[in-house]
Amino acid sequence: MKVNVNFVQPFVDGTIETLKVQCSTDSKIGKMHLKEKDVESGEPIEIAGIIGLTSDSFSGSISLCFPKTTFLNLMTRMLGEPVTTINRDIEDGVGELVNIIFGFAKRQLNDGGHTLKKALPSIVRGGQIQTRYLTASPVVILPFETDIGAFHMEIAVQFETLKAA
Amino acid sequence: MFKLDSNILIVDDMMTMRKIVKQTCAKLGFKNFTEAQDGVDAWNKISSAPVPFDFIISDWNMPNCTGLELLKKVRADAKLKSVPFLLVTAEAEKTQILEAMKAGVSGYVVKPFSSDALAARLAEMSKKLAA
Repeated sequence: MKVNVNFVQPFVDGTIETLKVQCSTDSKIGKMHLKEKDVESGEPIEIAGIIGLTSDSFSGSISLCFPKTTFLNLMTRMLGEPVTTINRDIEDGVGELVNIIFGFAKRQLNDGGHTLKKALPSIVRGGQIQTRYLTASPVVILPFETDIGAFHMEIAVQFETLKAA
Repeated sequence: MFKLDSNILIVDDMMTMRKIVKQTCAKLGFKNFTEAQDGVDAWNKISSAPVPFDFIISDWNMPNCTGLELLKKVRADAKLKSVPFLLVTAEAEKTQILEAMKAGVSGYVVKPFSSDALAARLAEMSKKLAA
């Protein structure tokens, strides 16, 4: 199955830009791969921001997934003050990040002919989050590295139905 | 720039973003803040404020009542129609910016934003008001 790189790239660019500008953090994309198990290797995911992708020609979702330490470090930089616990207020931060990344990507994708609609993010939190998508299409994993920890994004979309942009 | 004792209403459904906007404004010397978590909450606070707000900084994409809907309500009110209203939002497509301008937005900041970018927009809004 061929992954539509033109579709994925705005999410990569949006993530890098958002972390740089909003969290003063440089990040680098690792090797993109397809999701093969419910739990990715590495530190367990403690918190995720999820946003639905809806357009005239496809549907899906993106999930921005963080281990606890990476998320706390990122929130410390985003808020400019020490963040040592994930509470209800701090959880918002992952929703805000995925919202900003989605807005960035939506702008680029819609300029290229897609018709992505607005969406509100959801937040999922737990000790070791496992994600599973009810889609026939493979899910793309975008791993990122920063100086304060690793995290990843999961993109679940039926690429075959994307209009040529 | 706006007077430092200005009453500022910050509207966003995300606490983290309200905090960032408030911190940026506080660094510029502003002191008086009220926060609202969506357009409904904001309108209630606008309607019941003992002292009117000098300017409003609002997100666009919020449940219950969006920032755009709040802007339209503010502009439709004879007493509030000139209140400076800044949208700070992840929505930045040309059609959306045009929609906001048609509705009477005073300024627009696209997320992600630096504190310098927000400060610059506030300064522009203040200059327009003084002109």
